[in-house]
Amino acid sequence: MRQLFANRTSSILLQEKCDEADEKSVSKQKPGDESGNTVVVAPPEFRFMYPEFLPDPAMERRNRLKEKLERIDMLQRRSVVEIPEFYTGSVMAVTVADANSPNKFARFVGICIQRGGSGLRAWFILRNVVDKQGVEILYEMYCPLIQKIEVLRLERRLDESLLYLRDALPEYSTFPLDMEPERRLNNSVVPINPLKVKLRPRPWLERWERQNLQGVEDLNLPQRFYDKAEKVAKPWEKYDLMLQYRKTIPAEEQEKIFSDVHSQLQQQEFKRKMRRRRGTDNEQ
Amino acid sequence: MSTLGLLRTLFNSKIVTPNAIQLQSLNRSPFLVGLFFNHEQVRTMSRVKRRTTHPPYWHVLKNNQRQDEKISSDNLRFVREVIQDKYKNKSPIKGSDLDIEKKEWDPKTKRSGVIARNIGVQHMWEKDGKKVVCTVLHVLDNHVIRYVPPEEYAKSIIGAKVFRNRKPLGCLVVGAEAANPDRFTRQYCSLFNEVGLLPKKRLARFIVTPNAVLPPCTPLTAGHFVVGQAVDVYGKTIDYGFQGVVKRWGFKGGPASHGATKFHRRGGTIGTGRDKARVWPGQKMPGHMGSERRFCRGLKIVRINMKYNVIYVKGTVPGPTNSIVQIFDTLLPRRKFTEAPPHPTYFPPEDGTLPQEDIWDSNMHVFGSPSISV
Repeated sequence: MRQLFANRTSSILLQEKCDEADEKSVSKQKPGDESGNTVVVAPPEFRFMYPEFLPDPAMERRNRLKEKLERIDMLQRRSVVEIPEFYTGSVMAVTVADANSPNKFARFVGICIQRGGSGLRAWFILRNVVDKQGVEILYEMYCPLIQKIEVLRLERRLDESLLYLRDALPEYSTFPLDMEPERRLNNSVVPINPLKVKLRPRPWLERWERQNLQGVEDLNLPQRFYDKAEKVAKPWEKYDLMLQYRKTIPAEEQEKIFSDVHSQLQQQEFKRKMRRRRGTDNEQ
Repeated sequence: MSTLGLLRTLFNSKIVTPNAIQLQSLNRSPFLVGLFFNHEQVRTMSRVKRRTTHPPYWHVLKNNQRQDEKISSDNLRFVREVIQDKYKNKSPIKGSDLDIEKKEWDPKTKRSGVIARNIGVQHMWEKDGKKVVCTVLHVLDNHVIRYVPPEEYAKSIIGAKVFRNRKPLGCLVVGAEAANPDRFTRQYCSLFNEVGLLPKKRLARFIVTPNAVLPPCTPLTAGHFVVGQAVDVYGKTIDYGFQGVVKRWGFKGGPASHGATKFHRRGGTIGTGRDKARVWPGQKMPGHMGSERRFCRGLKIVRINMKYNVIYVKGTVPGPTNSIVQIFDTLLPRRKFTEAPPHPTYFPPEDGTLPQEDIWDSNMHVFGSPSISV
């Protein structure tokens, strides 16, 4: 796949310095199978870039045919709307068709505090503070009312879930609604923001001291809170292999799923890049 | 009127409904309820056996007891070849039997149904952006096994019960999910000898009018149904096992605190001390919940995928994921067909043109089409 692109568009690729196709999604080519054909395997980063393609691990409710059909539908939707790579901690802007808005479209900017769901049920929550009021909106990624999803700042944080921003000082959740997309210097690696957030004084919505949060400053609680947290903690879970096994899809299946989906996603990305380049050329 | 006379009239009145078990039930007129009864609960189904662990006595033994036969690998290969040879040349559609007399469809026709597997639930959206939860049903490899004409079916054990007071209809036996004959007994495989098919894991009976008869070996696919029609889905509900009264019957139980001793999820009183002086049959108590046959009626078909033989139905069906269900045209009078459906079933066009792979209902948003702008 990659060699094909190189042959066709080699001149354009050489001009562009930081090209995503070159550095980030390097497709590995497995040594050929019996028939002599090379099998293209999706890069291992795909399970972080597109986690909603992996099904719900609960074995009682899994069915290969249904997952396959759902993936076809997901790719169809992605061919119409670009659903970019994002992580918890990225600042995003979502434009949604809304009958009650003056322009019939509503745009919301916010930081992604949580994402979940699998297949067409995939969702993410954006948080912002508007007029001193904290606002969170849950968006379903494949809903056809969504017109556009932009990632204004692509970065990660130290935690997978940023729900503690609800109890943090408001400046950590405030983002200007007219924020411009930031251009990344280094395209291959998604930066991890090591920010430690300051929380407001108690009472809090959850017992943050029990959750092993990395992205929060020292909570400064009396010792009894930490003692109780130790009593309630389950330190053996990190040794429980079966628990981890049941929560994840095995590596072989992940490879199969992503190799299914890989070529189509790459094609869509390529088409979009060409459209963008054609757009900038026209402007020039 | 004497009290004895009054009581006699009470006991003689019967509530007759078609196909319901007739019980000597007491007259439930409102003024009498206050006089004689303190609780009024429907108990007609309390004596009926709702689930069994064994099939009816007239079924043949189905599954082979797996004996650890120490066959050599060569012999095993030979056995497999024999099986393949036996079923290879028998094409599913037998030549002479396929001359279906082109009977006309009329609104009173009952078509065959289809055996499918519930493979999960998917979210889809309508054209105005409203989300709809749809169940995905995978139509397995259905073939018609045999047809039992009305007169013969009315004499059978089930047929006699079903058609006791009405005109008898025919019965189509449909099978799904072909399997290796090794796992079944000889008697079970003999059921399929006439049609020459590999024995099927599941069999089902569908009541049909004589003008919707299908010859044996006819395949039934997802194209049997029409997008936008209403169907009834019949399946066995999720088996919850032995459950307490709170989950099973929705009782409120007792207070969680305020000094309640060992009374949080119990039923409480089960009767008065006065009338009847015993526990009434049908009293709601803990017990086995689920694994019962139920219908979900009037579900709308929103999408059919002809390539994978998959039907998307709006709503949910009885049973867990990956369970077998039966789908047939609805009997709800306002949602029945007004135009002729594929009658007696769908046949691919003879000129070899492939049908449209994915057929959507006009109200649904197709995934490849542009985003909805309100």
